[in-house]
Amino acid sequence: MTTVTDVAPATTAKHRSEVATSLPPARGQSFLKLVTIELRKSVNTRSGRVLIAAILLIALAALTWQFTHLPQGDAGFEGFLGAASTGVMLLLPVIGVMAMTSEWTQRTALTTFTLSPRRVRVQLAKFVSAVVLSVVVMTAVVALALASTALAGGITDHAASYAGLGGQLAGAYLTVALNVVMGAAFGAVIPQTAVAILAYFIAPTAWSLAGPALFKDNANWLDVFGALGRIAERDLHGMVPETLVSVGVWIVLPTVLGLWASSRREVK
Amino acid sequence: MITVENLTKRYGSTTAVQDVAFTVQPGSITGFLGPNGAGKSTTLRMLTGLTPPTSGTATITGKRYADLPNPGRVVGVMLDAAAQHPGRTGRETLLLNASLLGVPKTRADEMLEAVGLGHAAKRRVGQYSLGMRQRLGIASALLGDPAVLILDEPANGMDPEGIRWMRGLLQDFASRGGTVILSSHLLGEVQATVDRLVVIGGGRIVANGSLEELLAGSGTLVRGLDPIGLNEALTAAGLNLEPLHDGVLRVDATAEQVGRAAAAAGQILLELRQSDGAGLEDLFFQLTAEPSQPVAAAA
Repeated sequence: MTTVTDVAPATTAKHRSEVATSLPPARGQSFLKLVTIELRKSVNTRSGRVLIAAILLIALAALTWQFTHLPQGDAGFEGFLGAASTGVMLLLPVIGVMAMTSEWTQRTALTTFTLSPRRVRVQLAKFVSAVVLSVVVMTAVVALALASTALAGGITDHAASYAGLGGQLAGAYLTVALNVVMGAAFGAVIPQTAVAILAYFIAPTAWSLAGPALFKDNANWLDVFGALGRIAERDLHGMVPETLVSVGVWIVLPTVLGLWASSRREVK
Repeated sequence: MITVENLTKRYGSTTAVQDVAFTVQPGSITGFLGPNGAGKSTTLRMLTGLTPPTSGTATITGKRYADLPNPGRVVGVMLDAAAQHPGRTGRETLLLNASLLGVPKTRADEMLEAVGLGHAAKRRVGQYSLGMRQRLGIASALLGDPAVLILDEPANGMDPEGIRWMRGLLQDFASRGGTVILSSHLLGEVQATVDRLVVIGGGRIVANGSLEELLAGSGTLVRGLDPIGLNEALTAAGLNLEPLHDGVLRVDATAEQVGRAAAAAGQILLELRQSDGAGLEDLFFQLTAEPSQPVAAAA
Protein backbone atom coordinates (compact mmCIF):
# COMPACT_ATOMS: atom_id res chain seq x y z
CA MET A 1 0.00 0.00 0.00
CA THR A 2 1.30 3.43 -0.82
CA THR A 3 1.48 6.27 1.63
CA VAL A 4 -1.25 8.86 1.79
CA THR A 5 -0.66 11.13 -1.12
CA ASP A 6 -1.66 14.74 -1.29
CA VAL A 7 -3.37 15.42 -4.58
CA ALA A 8 -2.76 19.03 -5.44
CA PRO A 9 -5.90 21.10 -5.13
CA ALA A 10 -7.23 22.18 -8.49
CA THR A 11 -5.88 25.68 -8.80
CA THR A 12 -7.68 28.21 -10.92
CA ALA A 13 -5.69 28.19 -14.11
CA LYS A 14 -4.17 31.37 -15.37
CA HIS A 15 -4.14 31.32 -19.10
CA ARG A 16 -0.71 30.64 -20.37
CA SER A 17 -0.50 33.58 -22.70
CA GLU A 18 -0.45 35.78 -19.61
CA VAL A 19 2.87 34.29 -18.59
CA ALA A 20 5.59 36.54 -19.91
CA THR A 21 8.02 34.68 -22.11
CA SER A 22 11.24 36.03 -23.47
CA LEU A 23 11.36 33.68 -26.45
CA PRO A 24 11.12 35.03 -29.99
CA PRO A 25 7.81 34.44 -31.78
CA ALA A 26 7.31 31.02 -33.34
CA ARG A 27 8.04 30.75 -37.05
CA GLY A 28 7.70 27.91 -39.51
CA GLN A 29 10.67 25.82 -40.56
CA SER A 30 12.28 27.04 -43.76
CA PHE A 31 13.80 24.45 -46.10
CA LEU A 32 17.21 26.08 -45.62
CA LYS A 33 16.83 25.64 -41.87
CA LEU A 34 16.06 21.94 -42.33
CA VAL A 35 19.12 21.49 -44.57
CA THR A 36 21.34 23.24 -42.02
CA ILE A 37 20.01 21.00 -39.25
CA GLU A 38 20.59 17.86 -41.31
CA LEU A 39 24.14 18.97 -42.14
CA ARG A 40 24.80 19.52 -38.47
CA LYS A 41 23.39 16.10 -37.61
CA SER A 42 25.73 14.36 -40.02
CA VAL A 43 28.86 15.89 -38.49
CA ASN A 44 27.98 16.12 -34.78
CA THR A 45 28.21 12.41 -34.02
CA ARG A 46 31.33 10.32 -33.76
CA SER A 47 30.27 7.95 -36.56
CA GLY A 48 29.71 10.87 -38.93
CA ARG A 49 33.10 12.40 -38.15
CA VAL A 50 34.88 9.05 -38.39
CA LEU A 51 33.40 8.46 -41.84
CA ILE A 52 34.60 11.85 -43.12
CA ALA A 53 38.01 11.43 -41.51
CA ALA A 54 38.30 7.96 -43.08
CA ILE A 55 37.51 9.35 -46.54
CA LEU A 56 40.15 12.06 -46.19
CA LEU A 57 42.72 9.59 -44.84
CA ILE A 58 42.13 7.23 -47.75
CA ALA A 59 42.56 10.13 -50.17
CA LEU A 60 45.75 11.12 -48.40
CA ALA A 61 47.11 7.58 -48.51
CA ALA A 62 46.31 7.28 -52.22
CA LEU A 63 47.97 10.63 -52.91
CA THR A 64 51.07 9.57 -50.99
CA TRP A 65 51.25 6.35 -53.00
CA GLN A 66 50.83 8.29 -56.24
CA PHE A 67 53.50 10.73 -55.10
CA THR A 68 56.03 7.98 -54.55
CA HIS A 69 55.11 6.12 -57.74
CA LEU A 70 55.02 8.96 -60.24
CA PRO A 71 54.94 7.73 -63.86
CA GLN A 72 57.32 8.95 -66.51
CA GLY A 73 56.79 12.50 -67.67
CA ASP A 74 54.79 15.28 -66.02
CA ALA A 75 53.25 14.97 -62.54
CA GLY A 76 49.68 15.50 -63.74
CA PHE A 77 46.78 16.67 -61.62
CA GLU A 78 44.66 14.10 -63.43
CA GLY A 79 46.79 11.29 -62.02
CA PHE A 80 46.57 12.62 -58.49
CA LEU A 81 42.84 13.27 -58.65
CA GLY A 82 42.24 9.83 -60.15
CA ALA A 83 44.27 8.14 -57.42
CA ALA A 84 42.54 10.08 -54.65
CA SER A 85 39.06 9.61 -56.13
CA THR A 86 39.01 5.82 -56.31
CA GLY A 87 38.58 5.25 -52.59
CA VAL A 88 36.65 8.46 -52.08
CA MET A 89 34.05 7.55 -54.68
CA LEU A 90 33.55 4.25 -52.91
CA LEU A 91 32.95 5.79 -49.49
CA LEU A 92 31.25 9.11 -50.24
CA PRO A 93 27.91 7.49 -51.16
CA VAL A 94 27.89 6.03 -47.66
CA ILE A 95 27.37 9.62 -46.48
CA GLY A 96 24.21 9.60 -48.59
CA VAL A 97 23.07 6.22 -47.28
CA MET A 98 23.69 7.19 -43.66
CA ALA A 99 21.95 10.54 -44.04
CA MET A 100 18.75 8.61 -44.71
CA THR A 101 19.18 5.53 -42.52
CA SER A 102 20.85 6.68 -39.32
CA GLU A 103 17.71 8.28 -37.89
CA TRP A 104 15.82 5.03 -38.29
CA THR A 105 18.67 2.91 -36.97
CA GLN A 106 19.23 5.22 -33.97
CA ARG A 107 15.48 5.74 -33.53
CA THR A 108 15.90 9.52 -33.51
CA ALA A 109 13.34 9.59 -36.33
CA LEU A 110 10.78 9.71 -33.54
CA THR A 111 12.04 13.12 -32.38
CA THR A 112 12.79 14.39 -35.87
CA PHE A 113 9.33 13.67 -37.24
CA THR A 114 7.48 14.93 -34.18
CA LEU A 115 9.38 18.22 -34.45
CA SER A 116 8.96 18.32 -38.27
CA PRO A 117 5.85 16.34 -39.21
CA ARG A 118 6.06 17.10 -42.94
CA ARG A 119 8.35 14.21 -43.65
CA VAL A 120 8.96 14.63 -47.38
CA ARG A 121 10.47 18.08 -46.75
CA VAL A 122 12.76 16.59 -44.11
CA GLN A 123 13.78 13.75 -46.43
CA LEU A 124 14.49 16.19 -49.27
CA ALA A 125 16.56 18.28 -46.87
CA LYS A 126 18.54 15.14 -46.08
CA PHE A 127 19.21 14.57 -49.81
CA VAL A 128 20.40 18.16 -50.23
CA SER A 129 22.49 18.02 -47.07
CA ALA A 130 24.15 14.78 -48.18
CA VAL A 131 25.04 16.31 -51.55
CA VAL A 132 26.36 19.49 -49.93
CA LEU A 133 28.45 17.52 -47.44
CA SER A 134 29.92 15.26 -50.10
CA VAL A 135 30.75 18.26 -52.29
CA VAL A 136 32.56 19.83 -49.33
CA VAL A 137 34.49 16.62 -48.68
CA MET A 138 35.26 16.28 -52.41
CA THR A 139 36.55 19.85 -52.39
CA ALA A 140 38.93 18.95 -49.58
CA VAL A 141 40.12 15.99 -51.65
CA VAL A 142 40.56 18.20 -54.72
CA ALA A 143 42.56 20.66 -52.64
CA LEU A 144 44.80 17.82 -51.45
CA ALA A 145 45.24 16.65 -55.04
CA LEU A 146 46.13 20.18 -56.17
CA ALA A 147 48.61 20.54 -53.33
CA SER A 148 50.17 17.18 -54.19
CA THR A 149 50.53 18.18 -57.83
CA ALA A 150 52.18 21.47 -56.89
CA LEU A 151 54.43 19.72 -54.38
CA ALA A 152 55.44 17.12 -56.95
CA GLY A 153 56.28 19.91 -59.39
CA GLY A 154 58.29 21.69 -56.70
CA ILE A 155 60.37 18.96 -55.07
CA THR A 156 60.63 16.17 -57.65
CA ASP A 157 62.13 16.37 -61.12
CA HIS A 158 58.66 15.91 -62.65
CA ALA A 159 56.94 19.05 -63.95
CA ALA A 160 53.49 19.81 -62.51
CA SER A 161 50.72 19.62 -65.10
CA TYR A 162 47.15 20.77 -64.79
CA ALA A 163 45.97 19.81 -68.27
CA GLY A 164 42.18 19.45 -68.55
CA LEU A 165 41.63 20.67 -64.97
CA GLY A 166 38.15 22.13 -65.53
CA GLY A 167 36.78 19.07 -67.26
CA GLN A 168 38.18 16.71 -64.66
CA LEU A 169 36.68 18.72 -61.83
CA ALA A 170 33.27 18.94 -63.47
CA GLY A 171 33.29 15.18 -64.06
CA ALA A 172 34.39 14.42 -60.51
CA TYR A 173 31.74 16.62 -58.86
CA LEU A 174 28.97 15.33 -61.12
CA THR A 175 29.87 11.73 -60.35
CA VAL A 176 30.03 12.44 -56.64
CA ALA A 177 26.65 14.16 -56.63
CA LEU A 178 24.96 11.36 -58.61
CA ASN A 179 26.55 8.60 -56.52
CA VAL A 180 25.56 10.29 -53.27
CA VAL A 181 21.99 10.81 -54.42
CA MET A 182 21.88 7.16 -55.44
CA GLY A 183 23.21 6.14 -52.01
CA ALA A 184 20.65 8.37 -50.32
CA ALA A 185 17.87 6.89 -52.46
CA PHE A 186 18.88 3.37 -51.44
CA GLY A 187 18.98 4.52 -47.82
CA ALA A 188 15.51 6.01 -48.12
CA VAL A 189 14.10 2.75 -49.46
CA ILE A 190 15.92 0.50 -46.96
CA PRO A 191 16.12 2.10 -43.51
CA GLN A 192 18.81 -0.22 -42.07
CA THR A 193 22.29 1.25 -42.59
CA ALA A 194 24.12 -2.04 -43.14
CA VAL A 195 21.51 -3.55 -45.46
CA ALA A 196 21.21 -0.35 -47.49
CA ILE A 197 24.98 -0.09 -47.94
CA LEU A 198 25.16 -3.73 -49.02
CA ALA A 199 22.30 -3.28 -51.48
CA TYR A 200 23.87 -0.10 -52.85
CA PHE A 201 27.17 -1.86 -53.53
CA ILE A 202 25.92 -5.26 -54.56
CA ALA A 203 22.81 -4.71 -56.70
CA PRO A 204 24.27 -2.53 -59.48
CA THR A 205 27.55 -4.47 -59.46
CA ALA A 206 25.68 -7.74 -59.77
CA TRP A 207 23.80 -6.30 -62.72
CA SER A 208 26.95 -5.02 -64.39
CA LEU A 209 28.39 -8.53 -64.12
CA ALA A 210 25.33 -10.64 -64.88
CA GLY A 211 23.50 -8.25 -67.23
CA PRO A 212 25.88 -8.39 -70.23
CA ALA A 213 26.05 -12.20 -70.00
CA LEU A 214 22.28 -12.49 -70.06
CA PHE A 215 21.16 -9.63 -72.27
CA LYS A 216 24.26 -8.76 -74.32
CA ASP A 217 24.21 -5.10 -75.38
CA ASN A 218 20.71 -4.61 -74.05
CA ALA A 219 22.20 -4.70 -70.56
CA ASN A 220 23.50 -1.18 -71.23
CA TRP A 221 20.00 0.07 -70.60
CA LEU A 222 20.38 -0.73 -66.92
CA ASP A 223 24.15 -0.36 -66.45
CA VAL A 224 24.29 2.56 -64.04
CA PHE A 225 28.08 2.50 -63.67
CA GLY A 226 28.47 2.77 -67.42
CA ALA A 227 26.01 5.65 -67.41
CA LEU A 228 27.78 7.44 -64.56
CA GLY A 229 31.10 6.90 -66.32
CA ARG A 230 29.74 8.52 -69.49
CA ILE A 231 28.34 11.42 -67.47
CA ALA A 232 31.70 11.88 -65.73
CA GLU A 233 33.38 12.05 -69.14
CA ARG A 234 30.64 14.45 -70.22
CA ASP A 235 30.41 12.43 -73.41
CA LEU A 236 27.41 10.14 -73.69
CA HIS A 237 28.85 8.32 -76.74
CA GLY A 238 25.49 8.59 -78.49
CA MET A 239 23.86 6.54 -75.73
CA VAL A 240 21.49 9.22 -74.46
CA PRO A 241 18.41 6.97 -74.00
CA GLU A 242 20.45 4.20 -72.33
CA THR A 243 22.04 6.71 -69.95
CA LEU A 244 18.70 8.28 -69.07
CA VAL A 245 17.04 4.91 -68.47
CA SER A 246 19.89 3.69 -66.26
CA VAL A 247 19.86 6.85 -64.20
CA GLY A 248 16.07 6.74 -64.09
CA VAL A 249 15.92 3.17 -62.84
CA TRP A 250 18.84 3.23 -60.40
CA ILE A 251 18.63 6.81 -59.10
CA VAL A 252 15.33 8.55 -59.84
CA LEU A 253 13.08 5.55 -59.19
CA PRO A 254 14.62 4.65 -55.79
CA THR A 255 14.54 8.34 -54.83
CA VAL A 256 10.82 8.61 -55.51
CA LEU A 257 10.13 5.21 -53.96
CA GLY A 258 12.25 6.10 -50.93
CA LEU A 259 10.49 9.43 -50.37
CA TRP A 260 7.14 7.69 -50.59
CA ALA A 261 8.16 4.80 -48.34
CA SER A 262 9.78 6.91 -45.65
CA SER A 263 6.86 9.30 -45.52
CA ARG A 264 4.54 6.40 -44.69
CA ARG A 265 6.88 4.24 -42.64
CA GLU A 266 5.86 3.53 -39.05
CA VAL A 267 8.27 5.37 -36.75
CA LYS A 268 9.28 3.00 -33.96
CA MET B 1 -6.13 22.01 -25.27
CA ILE B 2 -6.27 18.56 -26.83
CA THR B 3 -9.37 17.32 -28.61
CA VAL B 4 -9.71 13.76 -29.83
CA GLU B 5 -12.85 12.84 -31.77
CA ASN B 6 -13.94 9.41 -33.01
CA LEU B 7 -10.37 8.33 -33.53
CA THR B 8 -10.06 4.89 -35.10
CA LYS B 9 -7.00 3.01 -36.32
CA ARG B 10 -7.15 -0.30 -38.13
CA TYR B 11 -4.20 -2.39 -39.23
CA GLY B 12 -5.61 -4.76 -41.80
CA SER B 13 -8.39 -6.62 -40.05
CA THR B 14 -7.27 -5.77 -36.49
CA THR B 15 -8.59 -2.64 -34.87
CA ALA B 16 -5.99 -1.06 -32.60
CA VAL B 17 -8.09 1.93 -31.58
CA GLN B 18 -11.85 2.18 -31.93
CA ASP B 19 -13.84 5.40 -31.77
CA VAL B 20 -11.72 7.05 -29.09
CA ALA B 21 -12.84 10.50 -27.95
CA PHE B 22 -11.72 12.73 -25.09
CA THR B 23 -10.55 16.26 -24.39
CA VAL B 24 -7.80 17.58 -22.18
CA GLN B 25 -8.45 21.07 -20.86
CA PRO B 26 -5.84 23.75 -20.17
CA GLY B 27 -4.79 23.84 -16.53
CA SER B 28 -5.19 20.13 -15.98
CA ILE B 29 -3.13 16.97 -15.99
CA THR B 30 -4.79 13.93 -17.52
CA GLY B 31 -3.51 10.44 -16.90
CA PHE B 32 -3.87 8.13 -19.89
CA LEU B 33 -3.98 4.57 -18.62
CA GLY B 34 -4.36 1.16 -20.12
CA PRO B 35 -2.65 -2.21 -20.27
CA ASN B 36 0.05 -2.91 -22.85
CA GLY B 37 -1.48 -3.28 -26.29
CA ALA B 38 -4.68 -1.47 -25.34
CA GLY B 39 -4.07 1.27 -27.90
CA LYS B 40 -2.40 3.87 -25.68
CA SER B 41 0.70 4.38 -27.76
CA THR B 42 -1.24 4.23 -31.02
CA THR B 43 -3.52 7.00 -29.75
CA LEU B 44 -0.57 9.16 -28.66
CA ARG B 45 1.11 8.56 -32.01
CA MET B 46 -2.02 9.61 -33.90
CA LEU B 47 -2.19 12.68 -31.68
CA THR B 48 1.37 13.63 -32.63
CA GLY B 49 1.03 13.02 -36.36
CA LEU B 50 3.30 9.97 -36.45
CA THR B 51 0.55 7.55 -37.42
CA PRO B 52 -2.29 8.58 -39.72
CA PRO B 53 -5.69 7.66 -38.25
CA THR B 54 -8.03 5.45 -40.27
CA SER B 55 -10.83 7.84 -39.34
CA GLY B 56 -11.55 10.58 -36.83
CA THR B 57 -9.50 13.61 -35.85
CA ALA B 58 -7.08 14.68 -33.17
CA THR B 59 -6.33 18.36 -32.74
CA ILE B 60 -4.05 20.39 -30.51
CA THR B 61 -5.10 23.99 -29.86
CA GLY B 62 -7.61 23.48 -32.67
CA LYS B 63 -5.17 22.30 -35.32
CA ARG B 64 -4.11 18.90 -36.56
CA TYR B 65 -0.58 18.18 -35.39
CA ALA B 66 0.79 18.03 -38.94
CA ASP B 67 -0.71 21.47 -39.64
CA LEU B 68 1.20 23.17 -36.82
CA PRO B 69 3.88 25.28 -38.54
CA ASN B 70 6.45 24.57 -35.85
CA PRO B 71 4.91 21.96 -33.52
CA GLY B 72 7.62 22.17 -30.87
CA ARG B 73 6.57 25.73 -30.04
CA VAL B 74 3.04 24.63 -29.21
CA VAL B 75 3.35 21.11 -27.89
CA GLY B 76 6.18 19.35 -26.10
CA VAL B 77 6.31 15.66 -26.92
CA MET B 78 8.24 12.85 -25.31
CA LEU B 79 7.19 9.44 -26.56
CA ASP B 80 10.36 7.47 -25.83
CA ALA B 81 13.24 8.86 -23.82
CA ALA B 82 15.50 6.10 -25.10
CA ALA B 83 15.16 7.30 -28.69
CA GLN B 84 18.03 9.78 -28.54
CA HIS B 85 21.30 9.58 -30.41
CA PRO B 86 23.89 8.09 -28.03
CA GLY B 87 26.73 9.85 -29.86
CA ARG B 88 25.56 13.41 -29.16
CA THR B 89 26.04 15.25 -25.91
CA GLY B 90 22.97 16.30 -23.95
CA ARG B 91 23.69 19.92 -24.79
CA GLU B 92 24.15 19.24 -28.51
CA THR B 93 20.84 17.32 -28.56
CA LEU B 94 19.05 20.38 -27.19
CA LEU B 95 20.98 22.88 -29.33
CA LEU B 96 19.91 20.99 -32.45
CA ASN B 97 16.26 21.20 -31.42
CA ALA B 98 16.62 24.82 -30.28
CA SER B 99 17.84 25.75 -33.74
CA LEU B 100 14.85 24.04 -35.36
CA LEU B 101 12.39 25.64 -32.93
CA GLY B 102 13.94 29.08 -33.39
CA VAL B 103 14.73 29.63 -29.73
CA PRO B 104 18.08 31.03 -28.54
CA LYS B 105 20.94 28.74 -27.48
CA THR B 106 20.70 30.08 -23.94
CA ARG B 107 17.29 28.45 -23.70
CA ALA B 108 18.95 25.03 -24.17
CA ASP B 109 21.32 25.71 -21.27
CA GLU B 110 18.47 27.02 -19.11
CA MET B 111 16.48 23.85 -19.73
CA LEU B 112 19.46 21.63 -18.94
CA GLU B 113 19.78 23.43 -15.61
CA ALA B 114 16.03 23.27 -15.05
CA VAL B 115 15.97 19.48 -15.35
CA GLY B 116 19.12 19.05 -13.26
CA LEU B 117 21.43 18.00 -16.10
CA GLY B 118 23.71 21.06 -16.00
CA HIS B 119 26.59 18.93 -14.73
CA ALA B 120 26.13 16.32 -17.49
CA ALA B 121 25.60 18.74 -20.39
CA LYS B 122 28.87 17.85 -22.09
CA ARG B 123 28.55 14.09 -21.63
CA ARG B 124 27.34 11.89 -24.44
CA VAL B 125 23.78 10.65 -24.12
CA GLY B 126 25.09 7.09 -24.47
CA GLN B 127 26.51 7.46 -20.96
CA TYR B 128 23.24 8.74 -19.46
CA SER B 129 21.09 6.55 -17.24
CA LEU B 130 17.45 6.04 -18.25
CA GLY B 131 16.42 8.57 -15.59
CA MET B 132 18.80 11.13 -17.08
CA ARG B 133 17.44 10.46 -20.56
CA GLN B 134 13.94 11.06 -19.23
CA ARG B 135 15.13 14.40 -17.86
CA LEU B 136 16.74 15.25 -21.20
CA GLY B 137 13.49 14.28 -22.94
CA ILE B 138 11.56 16.58 -20.61
CA ALA B 139 14.05 19.39 -21.26
CA SER B 140 13.59 18.84 -24.97
CA ALA B 141 9.79 18.87 -24.63
CA LEU B 142 9.87 22.13 -22.64
CA LEU B 143 12.41 23.79 -24.95
CA GLY B 144 9.90 25.66 -27.10
CA ASP B 145 7.88 26.86 -24.09
CA PRO B 146 4.83 24.87 -25.25
CA ALA B 147 1.28 25.17 -23.94
CA VAL B 148 0.69 21.42 -24.20
CA LEU B 149 2.74 18.44 -23.03
CA ILE B 150 2.31 14.88 -24.32
CA LEU B 151 4.42 12.43 -22.34
CA ASP B 152 4.57 8.65 -22.68
CA GLU B 153 5.81 7.00 -19.46
CA PRO B 154 7.76 10.05 -18.24
CA ALA B 155 8.48 8.55 -14.80
CA ASN B 156 9.87 5.32 -16.25
CA GLY B 157 13.38 4.67 -14.90
CA MET B 158 13.36 7.62 -12.50
CA ASP B 159 14.34 7.35 -8.87
CA PRO B 160 11.87 8.48 -6.18
CA GLU B 161 13.50 11.90 -6.02
CA GLY B 162 13.16 12.23 -9.79
CA ILE B 163 9.53 11.15 -9.72
CA ARG B 164 8.71 13.74 -7.07
CA TRP B 165 10.55 16.39 -9.07
CA MET B 166 8.59 15.46 -12.20
CA ARG B 167 5.30 15.63 -10.31
CA GLY B 168 6.13 19.15 -9.07
CA LEU B 169 7.18 20.23 -12.55
CA LEU B 170 4.00 18.99 -14.20
CA GLN B 171 1.72 20.43 -11.51
CA ASP B 172 3.48 23.77 -11.83
CA PHE B 173 3.14 23.62 -15.61
CA ALA B 174 -0.59 22.90 -15.35
CA SER B 175 -1.13 25.55 -12.68
CA ARG B 176 0.21 28.12 -15.14
CA GLY B 177 -2.48 27.07 -17.61
CA GLY B 178 -0.63 24.29 -19.39
CA THR B 179 -2.34 21.19 -20.75
CA VAL B 180 -0.76 17.84 -19.88
CA ILE B 181 -1.53 14.29 -20.93
CA LEU B 182 0.73 11.53 -19.66
CA SER B 183 0.64 7.78 -19.78
CA SER B 184 2.08 5.67 -17.01
CA HIS B 185 2.00 2.25 -15.46
CA LEU B 186 2.95 3.61 -12.04
CA LEU B 187 -0.59 3.87 -10.72
CA GLY B 188 0.39 5.33 -7.34
CA GLU B 189 2.32 8.04 -9.15
CA VAL B 190 -0.56 8.71 -11.52
CA GLN B 191 -2.95 9.06 -8.62
CA ALA B 192 -0.63 11.56 -6.95
CA THR B 193 -0.14 13.64 -10.08
CA VAL B 194 -3.21 13.78 -12.28
CA ASP B 195 -6.55 15.57 -12.04
CA ARG B 196 -8.34 13.50 -14.61
CA LEU B 197 -8.16 10.00 -16.00
CA VAL B 198 -8.79 8.51 -19.40
CA VAL B 199 -8.65 4.72 -19.31
CA ILE B 200 -8.37 2.71 -22.51
CA GLY B 201 -8.92 -1.04 -22.78
CA GLY B 202 -9.08 -3.17 -25.91
CA GLY B 203 -8.83 -0.05 -28.08
CA ARG B 204 -11.85 1.68 -26.53
CA ILE B 205 -12.24 4.31 -23.84
CA VAL B 206 -13.59 2.52 -20.78
CA ALA B 207 -13.49 5.43 -18.33
CA ASN B 208 -13.12 9.17 -18.62
CA GLY B 209 -13.56 11.56 -15.74
CA SER B 210 -12.00 13.31 -12.79
CA LEU B 211 -9.86 11.26 -10.47
CA GLU B 212 -12.22 11.90 -7.56
CA GLU B 213 -15.28 10.83 -9.51
CA LEU B 214 -13.69 7.65 -10.72
CA LEU B 215 -12.27 6.70 -7.35
CA ALA B 216 -15.41 7.66 -5.41
CA GLY B 217 -16.61 4.08 -5.55
CA SER B 218 -13.54 2.67 -3.94
CA GLY B 219 -14.60 3.57 -0.42
CA THR B 220 -13.16 4.60 2.90
CA LEU B 221 -10.67 2.82 5.13
CA VAL B 222 -11.41 2.84 8.83
CA ARG B 223 -9.76 1.30 11.88
CA GLY B 224 -11.19 1.38 15.38
CA LEU B 225 -10.08 0.57 18.91
CA ASP B 226 -12.60 -2.30 18.90
CA PRO B 227 -12.68 -3.77 15.38
CA ILE B 228 -15.55 -6.17 16.07
CA GLY B 229 -17.70 -3.53 17.72
CA LEU B 230 -16.99 -1.09 14.85
CA ASN B 231 -17.86 -3.76 12.29
CA GLU B 232 -21.22 -4.37 14.02
CA ALA B 233 -21.94 -0.64 14.36
CA LEU B 234 -21.29 0.06 10.68
CA THR B 235 -23.23 -3.00 9.52
CA ALA B 236 -26.11 -1.94 11.75
CA ALA B 237 -26.00 1.47 10.08
CA GLY B 238 -26.59 -0.31 6.76
CA LEU B 239 -23.10 0.24 5.31
CA ASN B 240 -21.39 -2.33 3.08
CA LEU B 241 -17.97 -3.27 4.34
CA GLU B 242 -15.11 -5.66 3.88
CA PRO B 243 -12.58 -6.49 6.62
CA LEU B 244 -8.96 -6.11 5.52
CA HIS B 245 -5.76 -6.90 7.47
CA ASP B 246 -4.97 -5.61 10.99
CA GLY B 247 -8.52 -4.70 11.84
CA VAL B 248 -8.88 -2.24 8.96
CA LEU B 249 -12.31 -2.14 7.35
CA ARG B 250 -12.98 -0.96 3.81
CA VAL B 251 -16.42 0.65 3.74
CA ASP B 252 -18.43 1.59 0.66
CA ALA B 253 -19.33 4.99 2.07
CA THR B 254 -17.93 8.47 2.58
CA ALA B 255 -15.73 9.29 5.55
CA GLU B 256 -18.58 11.37 6.94
CA GLN B 257 -21.06 8.47 6.84
CA VAL B 258 -18.54 6.19 8.53
CA GLY B 259 -17.71 8.81 11.16
CA ARG B 260 -21.37 9.42 11.99
CA ALA B 261 -22.18 5.72 12.27
CA ALA B 262 -19.18 5.18 14.53
CA ALA B 263 -20.01 8.20 16.68
CA ALA B 264 -23.61 7.09 17.05
CA ALA B 265 -22.42 3.74 18.40
CA GLY B 266 -19.77 5.33 20.59
CA GLN B 267 -16.93 3.62 18.68
CA ILE B 268 -13.46 5.18 18.95
CA LEU B 269 -11.69 5.59 15.61
CA LEU B 270 -7.93 5.35 15.23
CA GLU B 271 -7.83 5.89 11.47
CA LEU B 272 -10.30 7.17 8.90
CA ARG B 273 -9.31 7.95 5.32
CA GLN B 274 -10.13 7.64 1.67
CA SER B 275 -9.04 4.34 0.21
CA ASP B 276 -6.09 5.14 -2.08
CA GLY B 277 -3.52 3.42 -4.32
CA ALA B 278 -5.17 0.07 -4.22
CA GLY B 279 -8.31 1.96 -5.24
CA LEU B 280 -6.85 3.03 -8.55
CA GLU B 281 -5.28 -0.37 -8.99
CA ASP B 282 -8.61 -2.14 -8.42
CA LEU B 283 -10.37 0.31 -10.68
CA PHE B 284 -7.76 -0.23 -13.38
CA PHE B 285 -8.20 -4.00 -13.35
CA GLN B 286 -11.97 -3.76 -13.20
CA LEU B 287 -12.07 -1.45 -16.19
CA THR B 288 -9.47 -3.09 -18.36
CA ALA B 289 -10.05 -6.80 -17.67
CA GLU B 290 -10.72 -8.75 -20.84
CA PRO B 291 -14.38 -9.84 -20.89
CA SER B 292 -13.30 -13.47 -21.33
CA GLN B 293 -11.17 -13.41 -18.18
CA PRO B 294 -12.77 -13.65 -14.74
CA VAL B 295 -12.59 -10.32 -12.95
CA ALA B 296 -10.60 -10.75 -9.71
CA ALA B 297 -11.86 -14.26 -9.06
CA ALA B 298 -12.05 -13.69 -5.28
CA ALA B 299 -15.85 -13.62 -5.22
